[in-house]
Amino acid sequence: MRIKSLAISAIALVALAVPASAGAVTLIGSGSVAAQPVLSALFSTYTKTVNHKVHFVYTANGGNAGVKDVQNGTSQFAGQARTPLPSDAGTTYIKMFLDGLCIDVNPKNKLSDISIQQTHDIYRGLLTSWSQVPGSGLDTTIDPVGRDTNGGTYNFFLQAVLNNELPSSNVNALTADGLVVNAVKQDPSAIGYDGLAWQGKGQKALKVNGVPCQAKKISVEPLKYPLSRYLFLVLPTGVNNPALTKFIDWARRDPVAGEVISKAGGVPAFNKKAKKH
Amino acid sequence: MEEEYLPEYGPKWSDQRAERLLGALVCAVVGLLLAMIITVFVRAWPSFAHNGLSWFGAGGSVEEELNQIYLSGLSGADFVYTFHGWQLIWSTLLITGGAVLIALFCSLFVSVFIVEFAPEWMRNILQPVVRFLASVPSVIYGLLGVLVIVPFIGNHLVTESQKASVAGVISLSGYSLLAAVLILTVMIAPLMVSIFSDGLRSVRPGWLEGSLALGVNRWRTTWKIAVRTARPAIVAGTVLAVARAIGEAVMLAMVSGSVAFAPNPADGVIFIYEPSRPLAPTIVKNIDSLGSPPANATLFAIAAVLLFSAAFFSLTGWAARRAMRKYGATA
Repeated sequence: MRIKSLAISAIALVALAVPASAGAVTLIGSGSVAAQPVLSALFSTYTKTVNHKVHFVYTANGGNAGVKDVQNGTSQFAGQARTPLPSDAGTTYIKMFLDGLCIDVNPKNKLSDISIQQTHDIYRGLLTSWSQVPGSGLDTTIDPVGRDTNGGTYNFFLQAVLNNELPSSNVNALTADGLVVNAVKQDPSAIGYDGLAWQGKGQKALKVNGVPCQAKKISVEPLKYPLSRYLFLVLPTGVNNPALTKFIDWARRDPVAGEVISKAGGVPAFNKKAKKH
Repeated sequence: MEEEYLPEYGPKWSDQRAERLLGALVCAVVGLLLAMIITVFVRAWPSFAHNGLSWFGAGGSVEEELNQIYLSGLSGADFVYTFHGWQLIWSTLLITGGAVLIALFCSLFVSVFIVEFAPEWMRNILQPVVRFLASVPSVIYGLLGVLVIVPFIGNHLVTESQKASVAGVISLSGYSLLAAVLILTVMIAPLMVSIFSDGLRSVRPGWLEGSLALGVNRWRTTWKIAVRTARPAIVAGTVLAVARAIGEAVMLAMVSGSVAFAPNPADGVIFIYEPSRPLAPTIVKNIDSLGSPPANATLFAIAAVLLFSAAFFSLTGWAARRAMRKYGATA
């Protein structure tokens, strides 16, 4: 008896769900973890305000895995934080928005400006004491913290700062951006790196090569801030997907999408400015 | 139709339904387990085959080797498998061994107190608390470690001269052997206490009363009769704790320092402040490189080593309990 009623209610649920999804489109994506906060904000705003019938499913499994998913057809699009590689054959990269990587120190550190070269030397174990970094006001040993190899921020840092040399063994590799923020906040001699969205939470962002790590300094070409990058959507080449194309156009052009991007910690690259109220 | 299910003798099918279904379920579970073990070892094979016994040896930096392995898989030309896991294995041994030793020592006395000496009201409070502590998810301990213990060690215990003495090689910023062992001890001790006290409680009261009646004092009775009789339970609890400690990944990834480095006891006091990374967190930390076939094999090889040691410890525990059966207590 109970099983029967359970079965009936299950069928009823399915029956209810079917008409609701009629005519709806679900777009399946995967990829970059770094792009996820901004992408999910864009997805939910798009479904809520632009087109109720388009739904998104996004699995943050890492940019490389996302591109593989697009190549073998399991995903219709992928988020990606690095530029195209030869192994990405059969895919098209579309620039969506910008992201900046800030170098942060503890507020007790008096340093305000750091060069890419100094950062490189610290993370390669060549500079080990704050006394070797003029302006820090400290003479303690530097505690560099970074991300483990899973992080998109790690890969970006590796390319942009370390010229693809591995960080030295004195760099603590933490599992999440939030843990990097926490480590820098709690240790006066720490230095770390993380995205724009993490700034102002008990850590101090340094100017890099004299340019402050702020959204307004990170703009379309030429990229003034040295540690800024594009985040891409990767699509299969030559596949026409009108629902996805419409979403991409909206996300890249619409002023509302621009606001969503900035709120979620990204920097809009192409969106029209919203009219001043 | 009914006829077919009626055997000539013995119970009807309807009477056997439950046991057959449960039997099928057990077979399915065992089959699944076997399939899992075989999958892990098959996937891990290329890594072991290329390295032989040197897989477990020292030499080179694990970090650089893992990077080479990962990159070789992306280019797709010649896969590199060279891997020397000693730094990770040594870290696992140190952290697991240290935590289990400390926890064993403390838990034994705590459970003796709870069972033999604590007043009734205190026992009624302690027992549920211990059981609750044994089931706290490890990530909570990890959080406590990252937010409280690690900064405390980094800012208050480690001195500037100690930090400077190893500058450029490793950072003594609190992510350390000490933090990992401390938190792991807190994590596994409640498990041990609850199993030990079950064992102590199942000692026959007559044996203890006999000893007391002969004029042996309470402490000696507890130590010589109760604890000895409960030895199988102590072994069982320790084995379970070792298994949990070896497999612990999330918490250790958060506090152990996550640098492939072999802490050296010859370094003196700073030995306990040195960072390291055990086997299980290495899998967590390199999960992104699974797409590269040789890296995939290497991570599965680490998994195989963990699986093997877990099986080894549970077999050893079983053998030890069998050997101790003559002492008469059940575990």
